[in-house]
Amino acid sequence: MLNNFFSKIFGEKEPPPGEVAKKRLQFALVYDKLEVSDEMLQNLQNDIVDVLSKYFEIDRASLRLDITRQDDLSALVLNTPIIAAKKRRPGKNRDSG
Amino acid sequence: MEGKIIVITSGKGGVGKTTATAALGAAIALEGKRVAVVDMDIGLRNLDVVMGLENRIVFNVVDLAKGRCKVKQASIKDRRIENLFLIPASQSDNKNTLSTDDMIRLCKKLREEFDIVLIDCPAGIEQGFENSVIGADEAVVVCTPEVSAVRDADRIIGLLYARSITPKLVVNRIVPRLVASGDMLSHKDVVDVLSIELIGLVCMDDFVITSTNTGTPIVLDRESRAGQAFRRIAMRLLGNTEIPIVDPLEDSKGFWNRISSKIGLRKA
Repeated sequence: MLNNFFSKIFGEKEPPPGEVAKKRLQFALVYDKLEVSDEMLQNLQNDIVDVLSKYFEIDRASLRLDITRQDDLSALVLNTPIIAAKKRRPGKNRDSG
Repeated sequence: MEGKIIVITSGKGGVGKTTATAALGAAIALEGKRVAVVDMDIGLRNLDVVMGLENRIVFNVVDLAKGRCKVKQASIKDRRIENLFLIPASQSDNKNTLSTDDMIRLCKKLREEFDIVLIDCPAGIEQGFENSVIGADEAVVVCTPEVSAVRDADRIIGLLYARSITPKLVVNRIVPRLVASGDMLSHKDVVDVLSIELIGLVCMDDFVITSTNTGTPIVLDRESRAGQAFRRIAMRLLGNTEIPIVDPLEDSKGFWNRISSKIGLRKA
């Protein structure tokens, strides 16, 4: 009660706990459904490395794959240092890459 | 005609599944249907004490499912409400005692003897849940307006859909005063997040505590808001969909409440 009074006086606007609960819930549920296994992430990483290796020389060991969350969306973030671009035109000799 | 099997489930424990099962069973029996309530919380039985039938147990659901007794022997008749029967859980076994095949056979037997069978599902998503759901035609998900309960309800709803059951929602233990002040999730929030059909709203009610203490059916209490809410839910479950769902916030803004909150006797 007193807290409410002061926050009104000083113009702070904190959302009511009910609203906070709803936001947290929606967030948690989205996150729960996006849960991916480590195995799947590893497979995905290997596939991506294979594709990238056709076009760039990359350092396989320092490649990092993460799922990060912003307000209401998830992003797949891939970080890899590029050592050099391959001089070959993509599309040619695909199978040998 | 074959009976219908409805599972009462929630995912999270302690949200009022057992109370809801007892109340809905009693309310449906009062509507003239022959009802069995089945406690599937094997090893942690409680429906018997909530219904006040704990000292009359001879056979249990495991005995019945394993063919060690007849349906009539395992069904304890309620003395206050005609047509209401309890099939208690076993207290000495665990939830892996029964298989889904056992349950399918059991459900078939129960359909022949009763109009409506309510299954009180244990908390969790393990074997006890699988067993409770395997033979069910319909499901009622009980959820309280709390983050943890809603999250678990969402998981359970997903599992029910995966088994081709479209569940209906009961929001239990609503505190209208806290919803009005913005301190509690409203039932609209819960329905929004879970997006399934709402079948009833039940307020936090002291009568629930006294009725479980004494083992008397809450639906017989005309004073109890929760009891009356469960009676309306029972009627909706039986197909009387025209019965309106009373918003507890509107309901608590009766004439006297409005006056008393105006003059400061009561929080709005």
